[in-house]
Amino acid sequence: MESLKDKAAIVGVGYTPQGKVPGRTSLSFHLEAARNAILDAGLKIQDIDGLLIQPTMGDPSVTAALVAQYLGARVRFLATLDTFGASAGCQAQFAAMAVAHGLANYVVCTYGENARSGVSEYGTALNGGIEYGLFGAAAGYAMAARRAMHEFGTGPETWKEIAIAQRRWANLNPQAIMYTRSMTYQDYYESRIIVEPFRLFDICQISDSGRAFIVTTAERARDLKKRPVYIMGMGQDHPATNPQQATFLTGPTGAKLSGEQALKMAGLTLKDIDACEIYDCFTYTVEIELMDYGFYGRGEGKDFLKAERLGPGGDLPLNTSGGLLSEAYQMGFTPLTEAVVQLRGEAGDRQLGAPTSTREPEIILVSNNGGVMQTHSTLILRK
Amino acid sequence: MKNYLKPLPIITDDNRQYWEYCKKHELRMQKCQNCGYIRFPPSLLCPQCHSMDAEWEKLSGQGKIYSFVIYRISYHPSYADDIPYTVAIIHLTEGPRMESNITDCKVEDIRIDMPVEVYFNDVTDEVSLPKFKPVS
Repeated sequence: MESLKDKAAIVGVGYTPQGKVPGRTSLSFHLEAARNAILDAGLKIQDIDGLLIQPTMGDPSVTAALVAQYLGARVRFLATLDTFGASAGCQAQFAAMAVAHGLANYVVCTYGENARSGVSEYGTALNGGIEYGLFGAAAGYAMAARRAMHEFGTGPETWKEIAIAQRRWANLNPQAIMYTRSMTYQDYYESRIIVEPFRLFDICQISDSGRAFIVTTAERARDLKKRPVYIMGMGQDHPATNPQQATFLTGPTGAKLSGEQALKMAGLTLKDIDACEIYDCFTYTVEIELMDYGFYGRGEGKDFLKAERLGPGGDLPLNTSGGLLSEAYQMGFTPLTEAVVQLRGEAGDRQLGAPTSTREPEIILVSNNGGVMQTHSTLILRK
Repeated sequence: MKNYLKPLPIITDDNRQYWEYCKKHELRMQKCQNCGYIRFPPSLLCPQCHSMDAEWEKLSGQGKIYSFVIYRISYHPSYADDIPYTVAIIHLTEGPRMESNITDCKVEDIRIDMPVEVYFNDVTDEVSLPKFKPVS
Protein backbone atom coordinates (compact mmCIF):
# COMPACT_ATOMS: atom_id res chain seq x y z
CA MET A 1 0.00 0.00 0.00
CA GLU A 2 1.17 3.50 -0.79
CA SER A 3 2.51 5.53 2.13
CA LEU A 4 0.75 8.70 3.25
CA LYS A 5 4.12 10.44 3.49
CA ASP A 6 3.89 13.94 1.98
CA LYS A 7 0.47 13.21 0.50
CA ALA A 8 -1.33 15.85 2.56
CA ALA A 9 -0.55 19.32 3.77
CA ILE A 10 -1.81 21.84 6.29
CA VAL A 11 -2.74 24.98 4.40
CA GLY A 12 -4.56 27.21 6.82
CA VAL A 13 -4.58 27.98 10.51
CA GLY A 14 -7.18 29.99 12.40
CA TYR A 15 -6.85 31.74 15.74
CA THR A 16 -9.28 33.74 17.88
CA PRO A 17 -8.82 36.14 20.78
CA GLN A 18 -7.62 34.07 23.73
CA GLY A 19 -7.17 34.19 27.46
CA LYS A 20 -10.07 35.68 29.36
CA VAL A 21 -12.70 36.42 26.72
CA PRO A 22 -16.02 36.48 28.59
CA GLY A 23 -19.49 36.58 27.09
CA ARG A 24 -18.96 34.03 24.36
CA THR A 25 -20.13 30.49 23.74
CA SER A 26 -17.79 27.62 22.98
CA LEU A 27 -19.54 27.24 19.63
CA SER A 28 -18.62 30.81 18.69
CA PHE A 29 -14.93 30.00 19.16
CA HIS A 30 -15.18 26.96 16.87
CA LEU A 31 -16.83 29.18 14.25
CA GLU A 32 -14.38 32.06 14.43
CA ALA A 33 -11.37 29.75 14.34
CA ALA A 34 -12.76 27.89 11.31
CA ARG A 35 -13.57 31.15 9.53
CA ASN A 36 -10.06 32.48 10.11
CA ALA A 37 -8.43 29.24 8.93
CA ILE A 38 -10.49 29.38 5.73
CA LEU A 39 -9.44 33.01 5.16
CA ASP A 40 -5.83 32.15 5.94
CA ALA A 41 -5.85 29.43 3.27
CA GLY A 42 -7.46 31.74 0.73
CA LEU A 43 -10.49 29.47 0.47
CA LYS A 44 -14.23 30.04 0.64
CA ILE A 45 -16.74 28.12 2.72
CA GLN A 46 -18.05 26.60 -0.55
CA ASP A 47 -14.65 24.92 -1.00
CA ILE A 48 -14.84 23.13 2.34
CA ASP A 49 -16.16 19.60 1.98
CA GLY A 50 -14.85 18.00 5.17
CA LEU A 51 -15.19 18.95 8.85
CA LEU A 52 -13.79 17.34 11.98
CA ILE A 53 -14.34 18.85 15.38
CA GLN A 54 -13.05 17.98 18.80
CA PRO A 55 -16.01 18.16 21.18
CA THR A 56 -15.87 20.98 23.67
CA MET A 57 -15.02 20.02 27.25
CA GLY A 58 -17.96 21.31 29.25
CA ASP A 59 -20.43 21.65 26.38
CA PRO A 60 -21.38 18.35 24.74
CA SER A 61 -24.03 20.13 22.65
CA VAL A 62 -21.27 21.32 20.31
CA THR A 63 -21.17 18.58 17.69
CA ALA A 64 -19.67 18.40 14.21
CA ALA A 65 -23.12 18.70 12.67
CA LEU A 66 -23.84 21.82 14.73
CA VAL A 67 -20.57 23.47 13.72
CA ALA A 68 -21.27 22.59 10.07
CA GLN A 69 -24.74 24.07 10.41
CA TYR A 70 -23.52 27.40 11.77
CA LEU A 71 -20.60 27.60 9.36
CA GLY A 72 -23.04 27.16 6.49
CA ALA A 73 -20.96 24.23 5.30
CA ARG A 74 -22.15 21.40 3.07
CA VAL A 75 -19.61 18.62 3.62
CA ARG A 76 -19.19 15.00 2.54
CA PHE A 77 -16.84 14.03 5.37
CA LEU A 78 -17.94 14.85 8.92
CA ALA A 79 -17.16 13.64 12.43
CA THR A 80 -16.92 14.67 16.04
CA LEU A 81 -13.56 13.11 16.75
CA ASP A 82 -12.37 12.82 20.30
CA THR A 83 -9.18 11.32 21.61
CA PHE A 84 -8.96 14.01 24.33
CA GLY A 85 -5.75 16.01 24.08
CA ALA A 86 -4.51 13.86 21.20
CA SER A 87 -7.42 14.88 18.98
CA ALA A 88 -5.74 17.56 16.86
CA GLY A 89 -2.99 15.18 15.73
CA CYS A 90 -5.54 12.42 15.17
CA GLN A 91 -7.79 14.76 13.17
CA ALA A 92 -4.87 15.70 10.95
CA GLN A 93 -4.27 12.00 10.31
CA PHE A 94 -7.88 11.17 9.50
CA ALA A 95 -8.10 14.29 7.34
CA ALA A 96 -4.92 13.28 5.50
CA MET A 97 -6.37 9.84 4.79
CA ALA A 98 -9.62 11.39 3.58
CA VAL A 99 -8.02 13.82 1.14
CA ALA A 100 -5.48 11.25 -0.07
CA HIS A 101 -8.35 8.96 -1.03
CA GLY A 102 -10.62 11.59 -2.50
CA LEU A 103 -13.23 11.48 0.27
CA ALA A 104 -12.82 15.22 0.69
CA ASN A 105 -10.70 18.00 -0.80
CA TYR A 106 -10.44 20.46 2.06
CA VAL A 107 -11.02 19.32 5.64
CA VAL A 108 -11.44 21.91 8.40
CA CYS A 109 -10.48 20.71 11.90
CA THR A 110 -11.61 22.81 14.88
CA TYR A 111 -11.66 23.19 18.63
CA GLY A 112 -13.20 25.87 20.82
CA GLU A 113 -14.13 26.39 24.44
CA ASN A 114 -15.03 29.09 26.94
CA ALA A 115 -13.57 27.17 29.87
CA ARG A 116 -11.92 30.18 31.50
CA SER A 117 -15.03 32.34 31.80
CA GLY A 118 -17.78 29.80 31.21
CA VAL A 119 -18.23 26.18 32.15
CA SER A 120 -15.05 24.27 32.87
CA GLU A 121 -14.88 20.52 33.28
CA TYR A 122 -11.18 20.47 34.09
CA GLY A 123 -11.84 20.33 37.83
CA THR A 124 -13.87 17.12 37.69
CA ALA A 125 -12.70 13.53 37.87
CA LEU A 126 -11.48 12.34 34.48
CA ASN A 127 -11.08 8.70 35.38
CA GLY A 128 -13.23 8.30 38.47
CA GLY A 129 -12.12 8.69 42.06
CA ILE A 130 -14.45 11.57 42.90
CA GLU A 131 -15.43 9.74 46.11
CA TYR A 132 -11.85 10.18 47.35
CA GLY A 133 -11.68 13.84 46.37
CA LEU A 134 -9.65 13.05 43.27
CA PHE A 135 -10.65 16.14 41.32
CA GLY A 136 -9.03 17.68 38.30
CA ALA A 137 -6.79 16.76 35.40
CA ALA A 138 -3.78 18.08 37.31
CA ALA A 139 -4.03 15.36 39.96
CA GLY A 140 -3.81 12.53 37.43
CA TYR A 141 -0.58 13.89 36.02
CA ALA A 142 0.70 14.87 39.47
CA MET A 143 0.31 11.21 40.43
CA ALA A 144 2.50 10.25 37.46
CA ALA A 145 4.96 13.03 38.23
CA ARG A 146 5.34 11.90 41.84
CA ARG A 147 6.19 8.42 40.63
CA ALA A 148 8.78 9.92 38.26
CA MET A 149 10.39 11.76 41.19
CA HIS A 150 10.76 8.36 42.83
CA GLU A 151 12.06 6.52 39.76
CA PHE A 152 14.07 9.22 37.96
CA GLY A 153 15.06 11.65 40.67
CA THR A 154 13.46 14.48 38.73
CA GLY A 155 10.97 16.92 40.21
CA PRO A 156 10.53 20.67 40.51
CA GLU A 157 14.26 21.26 39.86
CA THR A 158 13.79 19.70 36.41
CA TRP A 159 10.28 20.97 35.71
CA LYS A 160 11.18 24.59 36.39
CA GLU A 161 13.53 24.45 33.39
CA ILE A 162 10.62 23.51 31.13
CA ALA A 163 8.33 26.19 32.59
CA ILE A 164 10.96 28.89 32.24
CA ALA A 165 12.07 27.92 28.73
CA GLN A 166 8.48 28.10 27.56
CA ARG A 167 7.87 31.38 29.33
CA ARG A 168 10.84 32.84 27.45
CA TRP A 169 9.17 31.83 24.19
CA ALA A 170 5.83 33.27 25.36
CA ASN A 171 7.55 36.56 26.11
CA LEU A 172 8.26 36.74 22.35
CA ASN A 173 4.67 35.91 21.36
CA PRO A 174 2.10 38.74 21.55
CA GLN A 175 -0.73 36.17 21.34
CA ALA A 176 0.45 34.35 24.45
CA ILE A 177 -1.51 34.86 27.66
CA MET A 178 1.84 35.28 29.45
CA TYR A 179 3.41 37.58 26.82
CA THR A 180 4.12 40.41 29.25
CA ARG A 181 4.96 38.30 32.28
CA SER A 182 8.47 36.98 32.69
CA MET A 183 9.31 34.12 35.05
CA THR A 184 12.40 33.67 37.21
CA TYR A 185 13.42 30.55 39.06
CA GLN A 186 12.25 32.26 42.22
CA ASP A 187 8.86 33.01 40.63
CA TYR A 188 8.53 29.34 39.81
CA TYR A 189 9.34 28.15 43.30
CA GLU A 190 7.11 30.80 44.86
CA SER A 191 4.09 29.94 42.75
CA ARG A 192 1.31 28.42 44.80
CA ILE A 193 1.26 24.66 45.27
CA ILE A 194 -1.99 23.33 43.84
CA VAL A 195 -1.79 19.58 44.01
CA GLU A 196 1.59 18.31 45.11
CA PRO A 197 4.00 17.88 43.46
CA PHE A 198 2.59 20.50 41.03
CA ARG A 199 2.75 24.23 41.49
CA LEU A 200 0.65 26.73 39.58
CA PHE A 201 3.48 27.18 37.07
CA ASP A 202 3.53 23.46 36.29
CA ILE A 203 -0.04 23.76 35.03
CA CYS A 204 -1.36 24.97 31.66
CA GLN A 205 -3.35 28.15 30.94
CA ILE A 206 -7.04 27.39 30.53
CA SER A 207 -8.33 29.80 27.91
CA ASP A 208 -11.46 31.08 26.22
CA SER A 209 -10.56 30.57 22.59
CA GLY A 210 -10.74 28.47 19.46
CA ARG A 211 -8.20 27.09 17.03
CA ALA A 212 -8.54 25.48 13.62
CA PHE A 213 -6.50 24.17 10.73
CA ILE A 214 -7.20 22.91 7.21
CA VAL A 215 -5.84 19.80 5.51
CA THR A 216 -5.78 19.21 1.77
CA THR A 217 -3.77 17.18 -0.74
CA ALA A 218 -0.16 18.14 -1.37
CA GLU A 219 -1.12 18.87 -4.97
CA ARG A 220 -3.94 21.27 -4.12
CA ALA A 221 -1.83 22.83 -1.39
CA ARG A 222 0.66 24.18 -3.91
CA ASP A 223 -2.03 26.36 -5.54
CA LEU A 224 -3.16 28.06 -2.34
CA LYS A 225 -2.25 31.36 -0.73
CA LYS A 226 0.17 30.21 1.96
CA ARG A 227 3.25 28.02 1.87
CA PRO A 228 2.10 24.43 2.47
CA VAL A 229 3.27 22.51 5.50
CA TYR A 230 3.50 18.86 4.53
CA ILE A 231 2.63 15.92 6.77
CA MET A 232 5.68 13.66 6.41
CA GLY A 233 4.88 11.14 9.09
CA MET A 234 2.12 10.21 11.48
CA GLY A 235 1.39 7.77 14.26
CA GLN A 236 -0.99 7.03 17.08
CA ASP A 237 -0.75 4.83 20.14
CA HIS A 238 -3.40 4.73 22.80
CA PRO A 239 -2.47 2.85 25.98
CA ALA A 240 -6.02 3.58 27.23
CA THR A 241 -5.68 1.80 30.59
CA ASN A 242 -7.25 3.43 33.63
CA PRO A 243 -4.44 5.35 35.39
CA GLN A 244 -4.78 3.22 38.52
CA GLN A 245 -3.54 0.18 36.63
CA ALA A 246 -1.38 2.05 34.14
CA THR A 247 2.14 0.84 33.63
CA PHE A 248 2.97 3.94 31.58
CA LEU A 249 2.84 6.75 34.15
CA THR A 250 6.63 6.82 33.95
CA GLY A 251 6.72 5.52 30.38
CA PRO A 252 6.71 4.15 27.86
CA THR A 253 3.71 6.31 26.96
CA GLY A 254 2.12 6.38 23.52
CA ALA A 255 4.93 8.71 22.44
CA LYS A 256 7.26 5.76 21.94
CA LEU A 257 5.32 3.70 19.42
CA SER A 258 3.54 6.59 17.71
CA GLY A 259 6.85 8.43 17.42
CA GLU A 260 8.67 5.44 15.97
CA GLN A 261 5.91 4.94 13.40
CA ALA A 262 5.85 8.62 12.44
CA LEU A 263 9.64 8.83 12.05
CA LYS A 264 9.70 5.62 10.04
CA MET A 265 7.03 6.90 7.68
CA ALA A 266 8.94 10.17 7.30
CA GLY A 267 12.22 8.29 6.76
CA LEU A 268 13.88 10.38 9.45
CA THR A 269 15.63 10.08 12.79
CA LEU A 270 15.48 12.36 15.82
CA LYS A 271 18.61 14.14 14.56
CA ASP A 272 16.50 15.59 11.74
CA ILE A 273 14.06 17.26 14.13
CA ASP A 274 14.66 21.01 14.35
CA ALA A 275 12.12 21.76 17.07
CA CYS A 276 9.45 20.04 19.16
CA GLU A 277 5.91 21.18 19.80
CA ILE A 278 4.90 18.89 22.65
CA TYR A 279 1.50 18.81 24.35
CA ASP A 280 2.49 20.29 27.69
CA CYS A 281 -0.64 20.19 29.81
CA PHE A 282 1.80 19.97 32.72
CA THR A 283 5.57 20.37 32.90
CA TYR A 284 6.07 16.69 33.68
CA THR A 285 4.31 15.75 30.45
CA VAL A 286 7.20 17.27 28.51
CA GLU A 287 9.75 15.32 30.56
CA ILE A 288 8.10 11.97 29.92
CA GLU A 289 7.19 12.57 26.26
CA LEU A 290 10.64 13.78 25.20
CA MET A 291 12.10 10.77 27.00
CA ASP A 292 9.76 8.36 25.24
CA TYR A 293 10.52 9.90 21.84
CA GLY A 294 14.11 9.00 22.60
CA PHE A 295 15.79 12.37 23.11
CA TYR A 296 17.33 10.96 26.31
CA GLY A 297 17.29 7.75 28.29
CA ARG A 298 15.26 6.79 31.31
CA GLY A 299 16.04 9.07 34.19
CA GLU A 300 18.31 11.36 32.16
CA GLY A 301 15.80 14.19 32.02
CA LYS A 302 17.36 16.04 34.91
CA ASP A 303 20.58 16.48 32.96
CA PHE A 304 19.03 17.05 29.55
CA LEU A 305 16.20 19.43 30.34
CA LYS A 306 17.71 22.89 30.69
CA ALA A 307 16.04 26.20 29.90
CA GLU A 308 19.03 27.24 27.78
CA ARG A 309 18.60 24.18 25.56
CA LEU A 310 14.80 24.38 25.23
CA GLY A 311 14.31 28.14 25.09
CA PRO A 312 15.24 30.79 22.51
CA GLY A 313 18.82 30.22 21.34
CA GLY A 314 18.75 26.58 22.40
CA ASP A 315 19.66 23.49 20.39
CA LEU A 316 16.27 21.80 20.95
CA PRO A 317 13.63 24.53 20.81
CA LEU A 318 10.51 23.44 22.67
CA ASN A 319 6.96 24.78 22.54
CA THR A 320 7.94 27.96 20.76
CA SER A 321 4.62 29.77 21.23
CA GLY A 322 4.88 29.39 24.99
CA GLY A 323 2.83 26.20 24.67
CA LEU A 324 -0.10 25.20 26.81
CA LEU A 325 1.80 26.39 29.88
CA SER A 326 2.38 29.97 28.77
CA GLU A 327 0.56 30.62 25.47
CA ALA A 328 -2.94 29.13 25.81
CA TYR A 329 -4.55 25.75 26.36
CA GLN A 330 -6.24 24.80 23.13
CA MET A 331 -5.85 21.05 23.43
CA GLY A 332 -3.48 19.60 20.81
CA PHE A 333 -4.26 22.48 18.47
CA THR A 334 -1.77 24.75 20.27
CA PRO A 335 1.33 22.70 19.39
CA LEU A 336 0.05 21.79 15.93
CA THR A 337 -0.75 25.31 14.74
CA GLU A 338 2.49 26.66 16.19
CA ALA A 339 4.48 24.17 14.12
CA VAL A 340 2.67 25.38 11.00
CA VAL A 341 3.31 29.04 11.78
CA GLN A 342 7.01 28.34 12.41
CA LEU A 343 7.48 26.29 9.23
CA ARG A 344 5.87 29.08 7.20
CA GLY A 345 8.26 31.61 8.70
CA GLU A 346 5.42 33.71 10.13
CA ALA A 347 6.32 33.54 13.82
CA GLY A 348 7.61 37.11 14.22
CA ASP A 349 9.93 37.69 17.16
CA ARG A 350 9.82 34.04 18.16
CA GLN A 351 10.63 32.77 14.64
CA LEU A 352 12.99 29.82 14.64
CA GLY A 353 16.19 30.36 12.70
CA ALA A 354 18.27 33.54 12.73
CA PRO A 355 15.79 35.71 14.70
CA THR A 356 16.13 33.46 17.76
CA SER A 357 19.61 32.02 17.10
CA THR A 358 18.22 28.54 16.54
CA ARG A 359 18.33 26.00 13.73
CA GLU A 360 16.50 26.99 10.57
CA PRO A 361 13.24 25.05 10.92
CA GLU A 362 12.74 22.45 8.23
CA ILE A 363 11.13 19.68 10.25
CA ILE A 364 9.08 19.90 13.45
CA LEU A 365 7.75 17.09 15.64
CA VAL A 366 4.21 17.65 16.95
CA SER A 367 3.14 15.56 19.92
CA ASN A 368 -0.34 15.32 21.44
CA ASN A 369 -1.49 13.26 24.40
CA GLY A 370 -4.78 13.00 26.22
CA GLY A 371 -6.49 11.57 29.26
CA VAL A 372 -3.73 10.78 31.71
CA MET A 373 -1.39 9.82 28.85
CA GLN A 374 -4.06 7.33 27.76
CA THR A 375 -4.11 8.59 24.16
CA HIS A 376 -1.32 9.78 21.90
CA SER A 377 -0.70 11.11 18.40
CA THR A 378 2.46 12.21 16.64
CA LEU A 379 2.99 14.21 13.45
CA ILE A 380 6.18 15.02 11.60
CA LEU A 381 5.69 18.25 9.66
CA ARG A 382 8.01 19.87 7.11
CA LYS A 383 8.25 22.93 4.93
CA MET B 1 -23.05 10.18 58.86
CA LYS B 2 -26.22 12.18 58.33
CA ASN B 3 -24.53 15.24 56.89
CA TYR B 4 -22.01 13.75 54.53
CA LEU B 5 -21.63 16.41 51.83
CA LYS B 6 -18.74 15.04 49.80
CA PRO B 7 -19.33 13.49 46.37
CA LEU B 8 -20.31 9.83 46.58
CA PRO B 9 -19.20 7.10 44.20
CA ILE B 10 -21.18 6.86 40.98
CA ILE B 11 -22.75 3.44 41.28
CA THR B 12 -23.51 1.66 38.03
CA ASP B 13 -24.62 -1.81 37.02
CA ASP B 14 -20.94 -2.64 36.47
CA ASN B 15 -19.66 -1.65 39.91
CA ARG B 16 -22.70 -2.13 42.18
CA GLN B 17 -21.43 -5.47 43.51
CA TYR B 18 -18.07 -3.94 44.46
CA TRP B 19 -19.80 -1.30 46.57
CA GLU B 20 -22.15 -3.88 48.12
CA TYR B 21 -19.09 -5.76 49.40
CA CYS B 22 -17.57 -2.52 50.67
CA LYS B 23 -20.76 -1.96 52.66
CA LYS B 24 -20.00 -5.31 54.32
CA HIS B 25 -16.42 -4.11 54.90
CA GLU B 26 -14.98 -6.55 52.42
CA LEU B 27 -12.56 -5.52 49.70
CA ARG B 28 -13.36 -7.76 46.76
CA MET B 29 -12.43 -7.46 43.11
CA GLN B 30 -13.25 -9.58 40.09
CA LYS B 31 -10.76 -12.38 39.48
CA CYS B 32 -10.81 -13.83 35.98
CA GLN B 33 -11.57 -17.53 36.17
CA ASN B 34 -9.75 -18.13 32.91
CA CYS B 35 -6.40 -16.35 33.35
CA GLY B 36 -6.42 -15.32 37.01
CA TYR B 37 -6.04 -11.57 36.36
CA ILE B 38 -7.71 -9.41 39.00
CA ARG B 39 -9.31 -6.43 37.29
CA PHE B 40 -10.27 -3.02 38.60
CA PRO B 41 -12.41 -0.97 38.06
CA PRO B 42 -15.15 -3.61 37.80
CA SER B 43 -16.14 -4.58 34.28
CA LEU B 44 -17.99 -7.10 32.13
CA LEU B 45 -14.88 -8.79 30.85
CA CYS B 46 -11.23 -9.44 31.53
CA PRO B 47 -9.06 -6.89 29.68
CA GLN B 48 -6.30 -9.52 29.43
CA CYS B 49 -8.17 -12.51 27.93
CA HIS B 50 -11.78 -11.35 27.38
CA SER B 51 -13.24 -14.11 29.50
CA MET B 52 -16.50 -13.02 31.11
CA ASP B 53 -16.18 -15.64 33.82
CA ALA B 54 -15.14 -13.97 37.08
CA GLU B 55 -15.46 -14.45 40.83
CA TRP B 56 -15.38 -11.71 43.45
CA GLU B 57 -12.08 -12.52 45.14
CA LYS B 58 -11.66 -11.36 48.72
CA LEU B 59 -8.43 -9.35 49.01
CA SER B 60 -6.18 -8.95 52.03
CA GLY B 61 -6.46 -5.17 51.99
CA GLN B 62 -2.69 -4.96 52.35
CA GLY B 63 -0.57 -3.02 49.93
CA LYS B 64 2.06 -0.38 49.28
CA ILE B 65 1.75 3.18 48.07
CA TYR B 66 2.58 3.33 44.33
CA SER B 67 2.20 7.10 44.05
CA PHE B 68 0.28 9.91 45.71
CA VAL B 69 -0.71 13.54 45.44
CA ILE B 70 -1.42 16.10 48.13
CA TYR B 71 -4.20 18.62 47.58
CA ARG B 72 -3.08 22.03 48.81
CA ILE B 73 -6.14 23.83 47.46
CA SER B 74 -9.75 22.72 47.49
CA TYR B 75 -11.45 21.79 44.22
CA HIS B 76 -14.80 21.25 45.96
CA PRO B 77 -16.38 23.11 48.89
CA SER B 78 -16.95 19.87 50.80
CA TYR B 79 -13.18 19.30 50.92
CA ALA B 80 -12.25 22.81 52.07
CA ASP B 81 -11.72 21.73 55.68
CA ASP B 82 -9.67 18.69 54.65
CA ILE B 83 -6.79 20.56 53.02
CA PRO B 84 -4.14 19.19 52.88
CA TYR B 85 -5.36 15.71 52.00
CA THR B 86 -3.88 12.86 50.04
CA VAL B 87 -5.10 10.68 47.22
CA ALA B 88 -2.85 7.73 46.49
CA ILE B 89 -2.62 4.77 44.17
CA ILE B 90 -2.24 1.71 46.37
CA HIS B 91 -0.57 -1.36 44.90
CA LEU B 92 -2.40 -4.23 46.56
CA THR B 93 -0.51 -7.37 47.53
CA GLU B 94 -2.64 -9.46 45.14
CA GLY B 95 -1.60 -7.31 42.14
CA PRO B 96 -4.24 -4.73 41.26
CA ARG B 97 -3.94 -1.07 42.14
CA MET B 98 -6.65 1.24 43.39
CA GLU B 99 -7.07 4.88 44.28
CA SER B 100 -8.03 5.93 47.76
CA ASN B 101 -7.11 8.27 50.59
CA ILE B 102 -4.29 7.72 53.06
CA THR B 103 -5.37 8.73 56.55
CA ASP B 104 -4.07 8.42 60.11
CA CYS B 105 -0.78 9.90 58.97
CA LYS B 106 0.57 13.41 58.35
CA VAL B 107 0.77 14.17 54.64
CA GLU B 108 4.45 15.06 55.10
CA ASP B 109 5.15 11.51 56.27
CA ILE B 110 3.66 9.73 53.27
CA ARG B 111 6.19 7.95 51.05
CA ILE B 112 6.12 5.77 47.97
CA ASP B 113 6.37 2.08 48.94
CA MET B 114 4.97 2.76 52.42
CA PRO B 115 2.98 -0.31 53.59
CA VAL B 116 -0.69 0.46 54.13
CA GLU B 117 -3.84 -1.47 54.99
CA VAL B 118 -7.49 -0.97 54.21
CA TYR B 119 -10.26 0.08 56.58
CA PHE B 120 -13.83 1.06 55.80
CA ASN B 121 -15.40 4.41 56.42
CA ASP B 122 -19.22 4.25 56.62
CA VAL B 123 -19.98 7.65 55.14
CA THR B 124 -23.72 7.09 54.60
CA ASP B 125 -26.17 4.32 55.37
CA GLU B 126 -25.60 3.02 51.86
CA VAL B 127 -21.92 3.70 51.16
CA SER B 128 -18.73 2.57 52.86
CA LEU B 129 -15.49 3.84 51.36
CA PRO B 130 -12.35 1.70 51.49
CA LYS B 131 -9.57 3.89 52.84
CA PHE B 132 -6.00 3.15 53.80
CA LYS B 133 -3.77 3.88 56.76
CA PRO B 134 -0.16 3.01 57.51
CA VAL B 135 0.37 -0.51 58.79
CA SER B 136 0.71 -0.14 62.53
